[in-house]
Amino acid sequence: MTKHKVVLSTSLVVFVIAVFSACQKPEEWDAENLNEWYSGGKQTVFNRGVGAFSSIFPEIIPLNDFRHEVGDLAFEAKFVTSGILNPGLGPIYNSVSCTSCHINDGRGTPIGPGTNIISLLFRLSIPGTNEHGGPLAVPGFGGQLQHNAIFGYQPEARVNISYTEVEGQYPDGSVYSLRHPIYTFTDAYTPMPAGTMISPRIAPPVFGLGLIEAISESTILEFADENDVDGNGISGKANYVWDMVRHRPALGRFGWKANQPNLLQQTAAAYNEDMGITNFIFPFDNSHGQPQGSDNIHGMEVSDSLVHSVTMYIQTLAVPARRSATAENVVLGKKIFNEMGCASCHRPMVKTAVNVAFPEVSNQIIFPYSDFLLHDMGDALADNRPDFLANGNEWRTPALWGIGLTSTVNGHSNFLHDGRARTLEEAILWHGGEAFQAKERFVNLSSTERSALLAFLRSL
Amino acid sequence: MKKVLSLAAVALVTFSACKKDPEPEVTPTPVTEDLNRDIINAFADNVAQDIYNSLAAKTTTLYNNVLLLSTETTDENLNTCKQNWRDARIVWENSEAFLFGPVATENIDPRIDTWPVNFVDLDGQLASSAEFTEEYISGLADELKGFHPIEYLLFGQNGDKVASELTVREKEYLTALANNLKQLTGDLAEGWNPANAGNYTAIFTAPGASNVNYEDRTAVFEELAGAMAGICDEVANGKIKEPFELQDAALEESPFALNSKTDFLNNINGVELAYQGRFTVDGVGLEDLVRKHNLALDGEIKLRITNAQASLNAITVPFGQAIFTQQNQVQTAINSINALKDVLEGDLLQFIAIYGNN
Repeated sequence: MTKHKVVLSTSLVVFVIAVFSACQKPEEWDAENLNEWYSGGKQTVFNRGVGAFSSIFPEIIPLNDFRHEVGDLAFEAKFVTSGILNPGLGPIYNSVSCTSCHINDGRGTPIGPGTNIISLLFRLSIPGTNEHGGPLAVPGFGGQLQHNAIFGYQPEARVNISYTEVEGQYPDGSVYSLRHPIYTFTDAYTPMPAGTMISPRIAPPVFGLGLIEAISESTILEFADENDVDGNGISGKANYVWDMVRHRPALGRFGWKANQPNLLQQTAAAYNEDMGITNFIFPFDNSHGQPQGSDNIHGMEVSDSLVHSVTMYIQTLAVPARRSATAENVVLGKKIFNEMGCASCHRPMVKTAVNVAFPEVSNQIIFPYSDFLLHDMGDALADNRPDFLANGNEWRTPALWGIGLTSTVNGHSNFLHDGRARTLEEAILWHGGEAFQAKERFVNLSSTERSALLAFLRSL
Repeated sequence: MKKVLSLAAVALVTFSACKKDPEPEVTPTPVTEDLNRDIINAFADNVAQDIYNSLAAKTTTLYNNVLLLSTETTDENLNTCKQNWRDARIVWENSEAFLFGPVATENIDPRIDTWPVNFVDLDGQLASSAEFTEEYISGLADELKGFHPIEYLLFGQNGDKVASELTVREKEYLTALANNLKQLTGDLAEGWNPANAGNYTAIFTAPGASNVNYEDRTAVFEELAGAMAGICDEVANGKIKEPFELQDAALEESPFALNSKTDFLNNINGVELAYQGRFTVDGVGLEDLVRKHNLALDGEIKLRITNAQASLNAITVPFGQAIFTQQNQVQTAINSINALKDVLEGDLLQFIAIYGNN
């Protein structure tokens, strides 16, 4: 496996812009718009190829550069059952490495009916909450379905995906079709308890997360309006989850339902749940206490330092710059985006906190297009499975930066939590709940305006 | 690929031919009406399509000879398969200089070239009664299929396997793996085949506002240069550096066939092929664009390619030994390949920013 890590330095960026500027109207380059090209602040890279999500921060101290490189190799490392090299896989697992799901550090795809799922997993729980207010694990299955197993063990179950097409029509007569997924589990190693709730989750892109982690909690809470006091129909609720290192509740920032408080815990949880790799935060195999039992490897299957290095790798993946930000239809699309109310949740700009211990992410104006809060997205998108404070209808607003490069990096344009939307247009059409009015405004746009809005999204 | 030379261009070439050439070893840059377009087209035709077609042909040969080996299990037939594996490996490693398009987006790379092999589970598969159908193999983890499990079964743990050591189950598994490799490399070739709907050649050669991958020609050249730099990074700072720094031969990628150094060299050779726009046919390439505008940069890139190749050739023992006994040579190889990476992601990308959209 190979990945690209090409970084254009800031000086080159300035140079490129200067060259382009020479060909364009100078008034297009006012300071406000110029900033928007730098989606990740100073940690923006001008890479729009297959490696667009895989660049290291252009400004990074040598020590963190080294840790990033160590983490990069670990992120690619394939685990095996046992032996000298990368032992500890499973015994049940979803994938053998981080890159197996986060292909090119990007977005997963659900794959079509009848093919193996690669980067889609299912969270499981039964009604009730655990001692920390989180989902209650399913007896015999835990909190996540592992659909693969090492030799001699059985996968917890196989997953089948089918879709039902439902057609719709714009007021201008244009038609569209949305595919409604149907998930069925077969060949379960033991009967799954009745009432088990499932939540499909596609692997999200992993770039820019260090900057999101650097946003202060108070900044995110400023965006919250849980009781919709301002009456705009948009609430915005913070999730509070359990920090397993500090042993206390913490603001949830990561994951489709904001169920992880930080990248260290996210990384350690993925090692454990997705690959069956024990570590200092999750010292037991994901099959611990289940009938099939654990593998026979004692001790931590990945070292503390490696977990920290992979965390550093994710924390220091740069954000690709905007493309065509000043094109006429993109500017129009941005105006429509704001007027439709999309920006109420997909907030364009935020500033990271001052952090002298991690200057790479400190005090940056970034353009993630998210408020990082939970919103009711309607019944059609609901997983009907609570996750800490997130109810079955709520999802965290995903960042939109880099979304226009998905096709280049990952060869598809599947979006939303389970990849059901095949295009950005379909993703918008799935919006319900608090986003219903914004969706309706989109539906009632002219085809030219819809096209402009999509051009704007592709420029992010 | 057809090239249209305008009268003016012909005149220019003719005129140039009359001048004293201070660099006689440098062939004249072909001048066409639209060199950038021709380079992009030539890459798709002469490099990507030709290399993937060659890879598919070589894995088909491997599969056919594995089939023969399964019925006539002789050392001669085993050695033929070993050579077929090496031959296919050359082209695959060349192709790693441009890991974009279907190989990256269709998740083919990990299904072809995952390391390490999961030996425990592989032994389990051999000991089982599973029928190794294509569907069954497709459903296995990446660590149980592709080049390296095939390498292990053909060459053995110590690289000295003889035909009499091949069990019936090994031959069944080997046949199924070779078939799977043939299918996947065939998919790669078909992914760039201009005759197929949605082929990547059509995407790669038609940059523009409506192209979701490449909004302009500069984006195409950036992709190419980025991929070339990317494989240099992977070779220098992953494939070589990791086993070298950790002094652990178990981290070596193609240990059974003792093929690691050859793999590295063919990666760098792939960079050269991508830069020159050639495989079996030598058409225009990125080098022609660079040479047209910046002869010094072209010279620097070629010098660094040559240095990288030479530094790898200076390693005279298998890589698993060299990390212990030829450490100066290994470090020099890392440095030389990183130097190539630096010029590709530095000066070349800056050059492309200026001249890519010409």
